[in-house]
Amino acid sequence: MPSIILRIAARTLTPTLFVAALILLFRGHNAPGGGFIGGLLAAAAVTLYAMANGPSSARQLIRVTPRTLMAIGLGIAFLSGVPSLFLELPYMSGQWVTLRLPFVDALPIGTALVFDIGIFIAVIGFVLTIFFALTEAEEEEVR
Amino acid sequence: MNLLLVAPLLIPLAAAVLLLLLRFSLRAQYIISFIAGLSSLGAAIMLVHDVASLGIHVTRIGNWPAPFGIVLVADMLSALMVILTSVIGFTVIVYSIIAVDKARQRFGYFPLLQILLMGVSGAFLTGDMFNLFVWFEVMLIASFVLLVMGGERAQLQGAIKYVTLNLFSSILFLIGIGILYGKLGTLNFADIAEKLSLTPDAHLINVSAVLFLVAFGIKSAIFPFFFWLPDSYHVPPVAVTALFSGLLTKVGIYALLRTFSMIFVYDAAFTQQLFLVLAGFTMVLGVIGAVAQGEMRRLLSFHIISQIGYALMGLALFSHAAFSGAIYFIIHVAIAKTALFFVTGYILAVRGQTELKHIGGFFKSAPVLATLFLLAAFSLAGLPPFSGFFAKFMLVKAGLDAGQYAIVVVALSVSVLTLFSMTKIWNEAFWKVDPATDGKGVIAFPALSKALYFLPLIILAALTLLMGIGAEWIFGLTGQAATELLNPELYIRAVLGGAL
Amino acid sequence: MLLLTSIGILLLVAAIAPLLVRVFRSASGWVLALVPLSLFAGGIGTLQMLSGTEAILEQWTWVPSLGIALSFRLDGLSLLFSLLITGIGGMIVIYSGGYLRGTPKLGRFYAYLFLFMAAMLGLVLADNLIGLFVFWELTSISSYLLIGFYNEKDESRRSALQALLVTGAGGLALLAGIILIGTIAGSYEISYLLSNATDVRQSPLYPAALLLMLVGAFTKSAQVPFHFWLPGAMAAPAPVSAYLHSATMVKAGVYLLARLAPVMGCCGEWHYLVMLAGSVTMFVGAVMAVVQTDLKRLLAYSTVSALGTLVLLLGIGTELSVKAAMVFLLVHSLYKGALFMIAGTIEQKTGSRDVRQLGGLLKILPLTGAAALLAALSMTGFPPLLGFISKELMYEAQMQAPAAAPLILVLGVIANALTITVAIIVGIRPFLFARDRRPAELRIPAPAMWIGPLLMGLGGLLFGLFPGLISNILIEPAVQAVRAEQVDVDLKLWHGINPVFLLSMVTVALGLVFFFFRRKGRSLVAQLRLPGGVTPSGMYQSAVDALPGVSAAVTRVVQSGNLRGYLMIVILAFLVLVLRALLAVPEWPAMPSLAGVTFHEYGIVLLILAATVMVLVVRARIAAIAGLGVVGLGIALLFIMYSAPDLAITQILIETLTVVIFVLAVSRLPRLRKRSPVRTRMRDALIAVMAGLAVTLLSLLAVGVQLFPKISRYYADHSLSDAFGRNVVNVILVDFRALDTLGEVTVLAVAAIGVFALLKLRLNGREKV
Repeated sequence: MPSIILRIAARTLTPTLFVAALILLFRGHNAPGGGFIGGLLAAAAVTLYAMANGPSSARQLIRVTPRTLMAIGLGIAFLSGVPSLFLELPYMSGQWVTLRLPFVDALPIGTALVFDIGIFIAVIGFVLTIFFALTEAEEEEVR
Repeated sequence: MNLLLVAPLLIPLAAAVLLLLLRFSLRAQYIISFIAGLSSLGAAIMLVHDVASLGIHVTRIGNWPAPFGIVLVADMLSALMVILTSVIGFTVIVYSIIAVDKARQRFGYFPLLQILLMGVSGAFLTGDMFNLFVWFEVMLIASFVLLVMGGERAQLQGAIKYVTLNLFSSILFLIGIGILYGKLGTLNFADIAEKLSLTPDAHLINVSAVLFLVAFGIKSAIFPFFFWLPDSYHVPPVAVTALFSGLLTKVGIYALLRTFSMIFVYDAAFTQQLFLVLAGFTMVLGVIGAVAQGEMRRLLSFHIISQIGYALMGLALFSHAAFSGAIYFIIHVAIAKTALFFVTGYILAVRGQTELKHIGGFFKSAPVLATLFLLAAFSLAGLPPFSGFFAKFMLVKAGLDAGQYAIVVVALSVSVLTLFSMTKIWNEAFWKVDPATDGKGVIAFPALSKALYFLPLIILAALTLLMGIGAEWIFGLTGQAATELLNPELYIRAVLGGAL
Repeated sequence: MLLLTSIGILLLVAAIAPLLVRVFRSASGWVLALVPLSLFAGGIGTLQMLSGTEAILEQWTWVPSLGIALSFRLDGLSLLFSLLITGIGGMIVIYSGGYLRGTPKLGRFYAYLFLFMAAMLGLVLADNLIGLFVFWELTSISSYLLIGFYNEKDESRRSALQALLVTGAGGLALLAGIILIGTIAGSYEISYLLSNATDVRQSPLYPAALLLMLVGAFTKSAQVPFHFWLPGAMAAPAPVSAYLHSATMVKAGVYLLARLAPVMGCCGEWHYLVMLAGSVTMFVGAVMAVVQTDLKRLLAYSTVSALGTLVLLLGIGTELSVKAAMVFLLVHSLYKGALFMIAGTIEQKTGSRDVRQLGGLLKILPLTGAAALLAALSMTGFPPLLGFISKELMYEAQMQAPAAAPLILVLGVIANALTITVAIIVGIRPFLFARDRRPAELRIPAPAMWIGPLLMGLGGLLFGLFPGLISNILIEPAVQAVRAEQVDVDLKLWHGINPVFLLSMVTVALGLVFFFFRRKGRSLVAQLRLPGGVTPSGMYQSAVDALPGVSAAVTRVVQSGNLRGYLMIVILAFLVLVLRALLAVPEWPAMPSLAGVTFHEYGIVLLILAATVMVLVVRARIAAIAGLGVVGLGIALLFIMYSAPDLAITQILIETLTVVIFVLAVSRLPRLRKRSPVRTRMRDALIAVMAGLAVTLLSLLAVGVQLFPKISRYYADHSLSDAFGRNVVNVILVDFRALDTLGEVTVLAVAAIGVFALLKLRLNGREKV
C-alpha cells in the first residue's frame, strides 16, 4: 500500500501537473513546449496518481483504456491533415482561422494545433499503456 | 495527384486507428482489414496508371516548397513498389484471417499489419532522407512486434538478433544523414543530388556513402550483412514471414537502388564492382544455406537472401536492361516467395510441422496445393513461362551485354541449385509418402477455411503466370522505371521544378 | 493460326484431361488419341505444300521489346518432327490407356502427357529461339512429372530429379548461348538467322555461343558424358519411355543441332565437337547396351547410341550425312518407340524385365510378338525394312567424315553390330527362342497395347518396301531445311553389291558373334573401369549426395547463430569499406579546429565519456542504467548550451521515463551471468573503438566546410509568417515536418502495443501457427 503522504501529494500534484501539461501543449507553438512534451508531462501526472492510488483507480480516472487513447490521438493527428485534401491542397497543408475575441490579441487557430493535440493524446496513451502493462504484470506476479 | 500519393499511407493508418478502436471485435478486424487492403490495392493501381501516363508525381506535404518540406514522390519505381506492397499486403491480410491464431488477432495483429504496410509504402514514396529513416523505424518496430508477439523462446531468440542488427543499421543510417545534412544542409533526395553535382569535393561526401551502403545492406540482407534474416524469419506465424519475405528486404534493396543511382554516383566504378562481388556472394551463400536446410521455412528464408543477390546484380550492372530486370525481379520474387510461404502455412496447419523429413503425401491429399506450389516453385527457379524466367533472362542478358561473364555463370549456377532445393520440397512434402501415414494426424478443414487458404495463393500463382504471359506490359513499366533511374534529372526536376 | 492453334488444342486437352478421363473411363485412351491423330492427319495434309525450301510462317508478338515472339515456322524439318510427335503420340496415348488402366492417377498422367506433347510440338515449330527455349524447358518440366509418375517410389523421384537437373543445367547453358546469338545477330528469329548466318559465324562471340548451345543440345540428347540421366529415367512408366526417351524429347537436342546447322554449322569447331560427342556416344552407348540385363535399360543405352549416331551424322554435315540422319531419325523413332511399348507389355504380363528370364512369349503375345519382330528387324537393318536403307546411308555418310573417317567407320560398324545384338536380345529372343521360364499371365493384352507397336512396326516395313512414299515428300524437305539448299532425295532399297553392302554383311556377322558371346561381354565390361573408378553418373551422384553436407558445413560457419559474431562481421566489413573509402580520398581537407571550444563544453564531453565508460565496466544493471541516464543528461546540457530548450526538455523527460521503465523492467530480468574472458572483451573493445573512430573521421571529413545554406534557415524565416508560430522547433514538428512526427508517434504506438502484447499474451502450449 503506497504511503499516505504520496496519496495526499498526488491529490494536489496530479491536477497541477495536468494543467501544466495543457499549458505546455497550447503555448508550444510560440514558446518551448508542445504536444509531445505536454503529453509526457500529463502521462507523468497519471503515473503519479497510479503510484499513489493503484493502477485500477488510475484507470478509473482516465476512463478510457490507454490503448484507445493512443488510437484516438493517432486518429486526431492523422485527421488534422485531411481537410486540406478537400481543398485540393497537399496533405497536411495548414489551415488557419484567426479568432478575434474581445480583450485578447488575435489568436490564430489551425490544423497544426489539432495535430499537436493528437500527438499529446497519443503520447499519454503510449506511456500509460506501457506503464499499466508493466505494473499490472507485476501485480499478477505478486499474486 | 495529392490524394493518390498519400493514399498508400493514409488508408493503412486510418485502418490501423479504426482497428485499434474496434479491437474487441474480431469480425470488425477482418472486415476493416479486408476493405483497407482492397482500397490500398485500388489506389496503387490508379497510382501506377497515372505515373505511367503522366510521368513522375510529386506531392509536397504541408504545401511547403521542396526542398524545405517533405515531399512524396512517385516515379515508376516507387509506384511499382507501392503496388507490390498492396498486392502482398492484401493477400497476407486475407491469409491471416484464417492462418493466424485468434490470440494474436486479439492483441493487435491486424493494426500492426496495417502500420507495417504504411511504413513500407512510406519508404517507397518518400523523397526525403530523414523521412525515409522514419519509415524505416516504423517498419522496424512493427516488424519487431509482429516477430516477438506470442513471446515464445524461439521468437525472442530470433527477434533479438533481428532487432540488434537492424538497430545497428538505423544508427549508421542516422549518422549518414547527419553527415550529409552537415555538409549540404538539405535532406531532400533531389536537392542532395543536385547540390552534390554542384560540389567540387563530391568525392569527399561520397565517403559517407559507406554508411548508407552498410545501413541499407543490412536492411536488404546482402552479404555479409544478412545474418539476422535466417535466424529470425522462421519464428513468427507463417503469414508474418510471408509478409516479411515479400516486402522487408525489398525496401532495403529499393533504398540501395534509389540512392546509388541518384546520389552516391561519384565512385561508381568502385561501388559497381563491389556490388557485383557482393551480389555473387549473396546469391551463392543464400542458396547454399537453402540447400542445407531440412525445414521449409528456413529453406525458403535462405532463398530470400539468394534472390536479393540477383536484384543487387541488377544494380551493379547499372544499365537499362539491368535496372529493368532487377525491378521486374524484385516484383517477381516477392510474389513467388510469398506464395511459397503460403503453401508452407497450409502444410504447417495440416501437419503441425514443416520438417521435410516428417511430412509428405500432399501430392495425393492436396492436388490443388501441389499445382500451385509447382507454379510458384518453378517460377522461383526461373523456368518459363513464369515470371522468374523473364527476370532471369533480363539479368543474364544484361550481364552478358556488359561482358560480366563471371556473375552470369554464378547467377545461372545458383538457379540450378534453386531448382534443386525447390524439388527437394516437392520430393519430400508432396511426392513422398507421408511417413506418419495412417490416415491420422491430418486435420480436415471446413470448406470456408480452405477457401481462405487458397484464395491468396491462387491470386499470387496467377500473378506469377500473368507476369510471364504479359511480360511485355510489365517490362514497359519497369523499363520506364529504369529510364527514370538512369536519368536522375527527371526526378530532380519533378521535385525541385525548373527546366531540364 | 494453324500452328498456334495446334499447340493450344494440346494445352487445352492437358488442362481438361482429368475431366475427360472421368467421363470416358477406360475408353479415354482411344478418345484422347483422336486429338494427336487428327493433328497428324493435318500434318500429312500439309506435306504437299512444303516442296522446295519454303516454310509456313506464323507470328504473334509476345515481348516485342526483347525480341521474344511466339513465331512459328513449319518447314521440312519441323514437319518431320511434328509428324513423329503427333503420330507416335497418338499411338502412345492409346497404349497408355491400356497400360495404365485402372490407375487412379490416369487423368493426371494424360494431363502431363499432353502438356509434354504441346511443349514438344512448340519446340519443333518455334521460329523464335527464346520461344523455342520456353518450350524446351516445358518439356523438361513435363518430363520431370512423367518420370516421377510413380512418385511413391524412391527410385522414381531420384531419377526424375536427375533428369531435371541434368537437362535443366544444360538448358541454362543453352539460354546463355541463345542470348549470345541474339546479341550477335540482333534477332532471335531463326528465319532471320538463316539468312544472316555469316554474321553469326564471324563474330568473336561465336565459339562461346556455339559451345553453350552444344552443351544444351548434348544434355537433352543424352550425349556422353551427360548420357546417364537417360538410363536412369527408365523408372518412368513404359509409355513415357517410349515417347519421351526414344521417339521425341531426347531428339530435341538433335533437332536443335539440325535446326541451327545452317547457321552455326560451318567451321572446324562445329565438326570436331559434334562429331567427337556423337561418335563417342554412339560407341559407348552400344557397348553399355549389350551388357545390360534389364529390358528397358538395354533399350535406353541403345537409344543413347542411336542419339550419338544422329549427332555424329549431323556433325559430318554433308548432304549425304544429313540425309542419313533424317532417315535414321524416322527409323529409330518407329522401332524404338515400338520396342519400349513392347517392353512395357512384357513387363506387365510376365512381371519381369530381366532378359535372362524371358522366353517363348510369341505363344501368349502373338500380336505383340509380331510387332516386336518387325521392329527388331528394322533395328538390325535387315532388308527389306527401312532400317536397311538407313544403315546403308549411314555407312556412306561415315565414309565422308571430314576427319578420322576410317576410325569413325570402324566405330560405326561395331556400334551397329552391337545394335543388332541388342535387337536380337530385346525383340527376337524373348519371343522366338528360349523356353518360357516364367508362368505368364494368359490373358491376351487388350488391343490398345499392341495396335500402336504393330502399326509402327508395319510402318518400318512399308517404308522399306516403298521408300518412294517418304523420300520426296518427307525426307527431302527435311534435308533441304537442314542444308538450306535444294537437295534431291531418292531413296532406294537395293543399291547393288557395293562396299557398303559388304559392310552391312560384316555388321550382321559381327552382330551374331556378339550375341553369342554376350555373357562373356557382360563380365568383361563389368570389370571395365575408367581410371579411378570415375563415371559421369557416379560424379553426379556424389555431387548430389555431398551437396547437403557441404552446404550444411558452409552454412554452419557463415550462419553460426552467435549474435556477437554477426555484429563483429558486420562491423569489420563496415571498417574495411570505410578504410577503403578514406584511402580513396584524393586530398584531405583541413580538420575543424578546436579553438572555439569552451572549458565547460570540455567538461560536459568528459562527463559523457566517463559515464559511457562506467556503463561498460560496472556489473550491476542498475548502475549501468544510471550511467546511461548521465549520458543522456549530458547531451541535454549540450542542447541547452546551444539554445535548444525544447530538445533539452524532451531529452530530460525521455531520459527520466527511460530510467523509470528500465528500473521497472530490470527487476524481471535474470542476473547477468559471468562475463566473457578478458581477451574476448579486449578484442570487442578494439573493434568497437575502431568503429567509433571511423565514424568520427567520416564526420570530421564531411563537416569541414558548410557549402550551402541549411534548410533550417527557411524554417526560421517562415515559421511565424507562414506557420503562425514563434517556436521554430515546434513548428518543424507539427507543420514543416509533421509527417515525420506522425511516423514517430506511430512508432510509439506500435512499441506500446508490443510491450502490452509481450507482457499479456501468452500462447501457453497453444497451437503454434
